[in-house]
Amino acid sequence: MTVREFVKDRIFLLMLHLCCMLLLAGFLHATGYSAEYTFLILICWALIAIVSLGFSCYRKRKYFRQMEKLLLRVDQRYLLGELMPEPVSLEDSIYRDMIRVSNKSAIEKIRGIEEEKREYREFIEGWVHEIKAPLTGISLICENHRGEETRRIAALNQRMEALVELVLYYARSDEVYKDYMIRKVSLQEVVSGVLARNKYDLIQNQVTAEVRCEEFVYTDEKWISFILSQLVINSVKYRKENGACIRFYTEKQDRSVCLVTEDNGIGIKGEELSRIFEKGFTGSNGRKKERSTGMGLYLCRVLCGKLGISISAKSKEGEGTQVRLEFPVGDYYAREESEIPNLTNL
Amino acid sequence: MHIVIIEDDAVIRQELTQLLENALYRVSAPDYFENAASYILEQKPDLVLLDLNLPGKSGFDICSEIRMSSEVPVIFVTGRADSADELNGILRGGDDYITKPFHPPVLLARIAAILKRTRTDREKQETVFTHKGVELDLARGCVRYGGLEADMSRTELKILHFLFMKKGEIAPRADLVEYLWDNQVFVDDNALSVNITRIRGKLERIGVHDLIETKRGMGYRI
Repeated sequence: MTVREFVKDRIFLLMLHLCCMLLLAGFLHATGYSAEYTFLILICWALIAIVSLGFSCYRKRKYFRQMEKLLLRVDQRYLLGELMPEPVSLEDSIYRDMIRVSNKSAIEKIRGIEEEKREYREFIEGWVHEIKAPLTGISLICENHRGEETRRIAALNQRMEALVELVLYYARSDEVYKDYMIRKVSLQEVVSGVLARNKYDLIQNQVTAEVRCEEFVYTDEKWISFILSQLVINSVKYRKENGACIRFYTEKQDRSVCLVTEDNGIGIKGEELSRIFEKGFTGSNGRKKERSTGMGLYLCRVLCGKLGISISAKSKEGEGTQVRLEFPVGDYYAREESEIPNLTNL
Repeated sequence: MHIVIIEDDAVIRQELTQLLENALYRVSAPDYFENAASYILEQKPDLVLLDLNLPGKSGFDICSEIRMSSEVPVIFVTGRADSADELNGILRGGDDYITKPFHPPVLLARIAAILKRTRTDREKQETVFTHKGVELDLARGCVRYGGLEADMSRTELKILHFLFMKKGEIAPRADLVEYLWDNQVFVDDNALSVNITRIRGKLERIGVHDLIETKRGMGYRI
């Protein structure tokens, strides 16, 4: 609130004062009052009016300044009603009461939605755990009765597992901090594990893989496996017809370790590349070739963000796609590796 | 090797039993869980696979009970993939923790790893296999025959290992490729043929002829 806005707001009151002053001046003049005294009275009037208006402007400004500051400081702005400073005028106190009532209903509504969301998430998590039992049963049956059919069933079962996992990780992506264990992880082992888990799909689609990952990183194995699984699934989906190959290798940099996933698939259009990590983005490949949920890479980006890994993609249409995961190496571990080389191997 | 499975889902219990029996373990899988801990202690197994969500009791409690009087290795098998649960499992004395849906070869590998760790001297894993006078030495990475020796690459060793484990039987190509993928060799069908040809070449150089038979449309046999 500026002084100008305040004056503009009170323009009628000021005009009223002015009119009254003019009328009084006319009346005094008509009754033969001397001009000097009339002038003195008018000056006094104007002074009193200005001081009173100025004081009210000052109080209002102070009041609203306080509220603005408050709004900047609190992170749940809908709580303003509860935090409003003591009002100066009747109007303000009426407004405050109304805002409080309105906020209260908003807060109740938000609580309700949060509760619903939590219940929904818990249901999804519970459901995912339940469905894992039959999925495990199917994969065991396929393993025990190997043959042409069970191999195909196993491949479909694997795809189902991946989709179920996508649901679980989406439901949990808000709360990564509750569920991770940072450990020293061999990238070679993690990548091999991911490939072995997706082997039916890879073998049936005649995709080969090369893994050259000598580096270790400190991260959560479960989450990073999920991220890599998504990348592998994408590489299989968008492979080229003959000689499809996925390469994994690590690059050690000054303060980070880079895990590069490279395929020779159909690639991504230049204009779509910047959007592939967006939620629900399917792109021309996703619509043309297979049904795509548009969630896989989005979740990869979210999870990478929570794990402190940076993810980026490069691609040339028709030649292939490269996804880089950059794991930062903290000071503590960097020092440990150089000064006490055997500690982590004990 | 005797393994006890405590699992309440009948299908999984049955299939797990079969999987482990196919892998030549002796398996007991009770279908009642009231006295699971005392049952395990009576059986004196070499390893226990323990489900976490059992009717009435949690796997954690059973594990704590076992730990009071026995050091038998315990692997938790569970559908819950929580880090907190995993930590709890380890704190209660579990040796490993594997989540459903697990990959059967991974489960077998973890069981083998734990058994290997717990009985170091009694049964060492074989690293030398012999068939028709041909000796495959996994530790040295070579094949010996009649005083001659041929070095093999990692992929070739893995292929030979699989064939030697199934001596006399037909090893289907698909099984062989899957076995390779489980063992960090990611090749397709064509590459397998190339590797088999290369192995035959190396074997012929040391005087082994026709060790690996090709069964058309089925696979290989030695």
